[in-house]
Amino acid sequence: MTILGQLALWLALLLAAWGSVVGILGGIQQRAELIQSARRTSYALFGVLSVATIALVVALLRHDFNVQYVWAYTSRNLPTPYALSALYGGQAGSLLFWAFILTVFAAAAQWLTPRRYDHLMPYVAAVTSGVTLFFVAVVLFASNPFERMAFTPPDGNGLNPQLQNPGMVIHPPMLYLGYISITIPFAFAVAALITKRLDTGWLHAIRRWTIVSWIFLTTGIVLGMWWAYVELGWGGYWAWDPVENASFLPWLTMTAFLHSVMIQEKRGMLKKWNMILIVLSFMLSIFGTFITRSGIISSVHSFAQSSVGYFFLVFLITSGIALTWLLVTRLPDLEAESQLESMVSREASFLFNNLLLVGMAFSVLWGTMFPIISELVRGTQVTVGPPFFNQVNIPIGLGLLALTGIGPLIAWRKASTRNLKRQFTGPVVTMLIVAAVLIAVGVRDFYALMAFALSGFVVGTIGQEFIRGVGARNRLHGENYAVAFARLMARNRRRYGGYIVHLGIVVFFVAFAGNAFKKEMEASLEPGESVTLRSAFGYEYTFTHIGVSQYEQLNRFVSAASLDVTRGDEPMGIMTSEKRQYWNSFKEAQFQPSTEAAIESGLREDVYVVYAGSVEGTEEAVYSITLNPLVWWLWFGGFVMVIGGAITVWPGGGGPTRASLRRAMAGYHAQMVSGEKEEAAIAG
Amino acid sequence: MQDSVIVTRRAAVGAAFAALLPISIRAGQGQDTTQSAAPERLPYPGMVGAAKERITDYENDPFIIGIEERLRCTCGCNLDVYTCRTTDFTCGTSPEMHRQVVRLIESGSTEQEVIDAFVAQHGELVLMAPKKEGFNIVGYVLPGIAITAVGALMLWVLSRKNSVTAAEAQAAGSASIADTEMSADDAARLEAELADLE
Amino acid sequence: MELVAGIVVAVAALALVLEPLVRGGVDQGVAASPDEGIDFADIQESESPKIQALLALKEIEFDRATGKLSDEDYGALKKRYADAALAAIKAEEAAGAEVGDAVDDPAEAAIRKARANSGMSCPTCGPRPATDSTFCSNCGKQLVAPGGTDSCASCGERIPPGGKFCASCGTSVGALVER
Repeated sequence: MTILGQLALWLALLLAAWGSVVGILGGIQQRAELIQSARRTSYALFGVLSVATIALVVALLRHDFNVQYVWAYTSRNLPTPYALSALYGGQAGSLLFWAFILTVFAAAAQWLTPRRYDHLMPYVAAVTSGVTLFFVAVVLFASNPFERMAFTPPDGNGLNPQLQNPGMVIHPPMLYLGYISITIPFAFAVAALITKRLDTGWLHAIRRWTIVSWIFLTTGIVLGMWWAYVELGWGGYWAWDPVENASFLPWLTMTAFLHSVMIQEKRGMLKKWNMILIVLSFMLSIFGTFITRSGIISSVHSFAQSSVGYFFLVFLITSGIALTWLLVTRLPDLEAESQLESMVSREASFLFNNLLLVGMAFSVLWGTMFPIISELVRGTQVTVGPPFFNQVNIPIGLGLLALTGIGPLIAWRKASTRNLKRQFTGPVVTMLIVAAVLIAVGVRDFYALMAFALSGFVVGTIGQEFIRGVGARNRLHGENYAVAFARLMARNRRRYGGYIVHLGIVVFFVAFAGNAFKKEMEASLEPGESVTLRSAFGYEYTFTHIGVSQYEQLNRFVSAASLDVTRGDEPMGIMTSEKRQYWNSFKEAQFQPSTEAAIESGLREDVYVVYAGSVEGTEEAVYSITLNPLVWWLWFGGFVMVIGGAITVWPGGGGPTRASLRRAMAGYHAQMVSGEKEEAAIAG
Repeated sequence: MQDSVIVTRRAAVGAAFAALLPISIRAGQGQDTTQSAAPERLPYPGMVGAAKERITDYENDPFIIGIEERLRCTCGCNLDVYTCRTTDFTCGTSPEMHRQVVRLIESGSTEQEVIDAFVAQHGELVLMAPKKEGFNIVGYVLPGIAITAVGALMLWVLSRKNSVTAAEAQAAGSASIADTEMSADDAARLEAELADLE
Repeated sequence: MELVAGIVVAVAALALVLEPLVRGGVDQGVAASPDEGIDFADIQESESPKIQALLALKEIEFDRATGKLSDEDYGALKKRYADAALAAIKAEEAAGAEVGDAVDDPAEAAIRKARANSGMSCPTCGPRPATDSTFCSNCGKQLVAPGGTDSCASCGERIPPGGKFCASCGTSVGALVER
């Protein structure tokens, strides 16, 4: 299948080049046949890259070990789902997968965008084709998955054990979907810049795309944390690794955009800023890929060093220059339509929210790049690990959490002191109660205390918003409380969906703060021996080593060590952690033995046990045991955030009927039609 | 260490076995040899990775862990020594670095002396977070300073704009009050249009 | 075999992309259906300045009801956005008069009629916003049941405020004034 794959790639290269040239040309010269051809290129690229991707999948499933990529990342006995996930398990395949997903989004954008944005579409096609061109070029010239070897090995190298995990099957595609879907809003932004149609129109065209890509990014990041937690065996989920940071950066700028865009829609302000945020998010998503692929910063996620990094560097620099030029020449068209009316207003609080989000992005980027900067300035390499990032970012994070609670309490446009008092009383009281209870219980960790108290504040705010909103509808429209609640959500999905996202954030912070109370120990136990560990909630856990059993399973040899666990007097059952030695179909060992943690998840805390190894090859086992408070809430918080995000973009239901909308819009359309007539008259 | 107690082997068999595995304890009483004999060898010891040493109090000592969390394992894993030795069981470097820390502590070094010894041996790269001195201080404070500076600038610009617009509003306000109320026709029309959006 | 498949893919892709060039592009004119342009799922996406101003008004109302806006601020903001909304309504109507009546659906005309009739009118000030008052809040005169003012000279149908033609029979309001 590699011939077909190669052909499809070359065809894609040709088409992408055609699309990017013809799109711009057709748009500028307003030539309908060129515009149509450029837009069709998006569909053609989707078709052609589907063929290339399918060709690689077929090669993987057929175990065609003559293909170097198939040999490097699979083996004959690799379970089929993992053989499929090998599509993005290696560098070459993941770049092809990236390009493919991009064409899916590009085609969807051409297909789904309403007709009234037709004037932007040739440029959108040109930009998406241009980015596709870059990725296809990298695949063809630097990292080709279809390359064949001079001989055919009997079996493949196998997939890295850490990637043989269900989380790994879905986590990278989710993250890719998030990264790549930013390209669509970016393409619209560039189209708006080129056409100088910089009113709020293009913002409406990308609204759904930005939220959808935010949802994908969030899902991808949370799944990544989950994968790290269950698979990497250190009982943590976030280590400020460069690649984790790389996924966090566009998330921060996208989050900033989702907030500041509301100011532009409502007030016509911050046009330049929003443009910059979209462009920045796209650049950061490419930068993230660059970090992963170039190996300039060492990371557990790094792919092997290759020339791919240079391609990305050149792309980053050239597109950076082009975008800066485009932005600078369009600055006069990006003047604000109105001014901030009051320093105490929702707009102002959004400004500070943006400051902190972008400031955090800067500090994460700064920390990630600091080893390089230090080497440039001082000639000495330094390590910038979690202690650095925590020190710098925890205060910013807490500031953001506080703003999450403050923002919604302030009205748009203007707020007076007396109203502020009325608004703040409830949430502040909630915060103080939470703080008092926690201090009484004996919580002394400063940051954790702050996080919990501020979480109380935000929950107070959100609760109050819902209660007062229902009350207001009840008074204004005479609806009963149930109807009022349903309508409140349905009519203001963005606002109340957003509040649900905020709730998810709160849950996240609570889970993070729980990290301060984790308890861990190592123990070597003979069969029958036990050890006890007291958790932050005051439970006494007893772990009794039962023994180690060894057996073959699927594509591996398993050594399973089991512990009998009790909490106080209550038995929790047996927890089994495994050492896995993967082997190929000839039972030749592949990779070093990997570890599978045993996790007993609970609402209060997780019991996390890792079989570290055997003492001198006997049944005496070394265990590393961690009691992780509140980790379950991390996954739950992620879930709530995604649900909230989905609510804000959910189509249909509620709101004015079509008939009344048509009535309301009739005048505007009439105006547009007469405006067009005038334009035509002037042109004629 | 107050939270964890390593129970002696004898006590473990006595208490835990009695509570949980009554059948095996009867068997144990019958033979009474399992306790003194070394634990059985695994059938395939090669399949569980590198042999581990028995855990002593040093491995769980918060003081030593604290030091190790400040040191970076030099195997290229990017983790600190403590995390690496309790996570990456294929790594031979972190257990060795751990033993070195223990040796230094046993010979009476303070925390700072241990850290200094490692920096002397491996360079500054061995620290998980750069020392707060010289250019590194820029690394620590730049984001905070940048955020504070921009925030202060925003506040200043906003408050200046604010006083200007407030003055304008006052000027405009006196004029607008002079304006008559909205005409009744207009009010009714607005109501009708608003109703369309409900 | 693979090569054949590859050629088929290539031909199909090139045909798709190059066809417009060969055939000559067809200008896809904007369809004039009344629903065209209401293709947003969220009314906030509407680009009509009138709707934007009306939404701002609704939001101000809601913010006051939830206690976020003080009464003075509410008054000032309400006045500003009401003015903006009215200006937009008038601009749209001016354009609408040129193009012709955009509302062609009889059912909608009926709804609009019913809605316009629901309010009480003042003999001097015209229809009043408050539906349950007895006296005009502007001049103090007793309000009368709807239908009393601004009727079509030809058929007697009530004409919405500012309307230039009768929605029922099409007679010009100007004709009414002249008589």
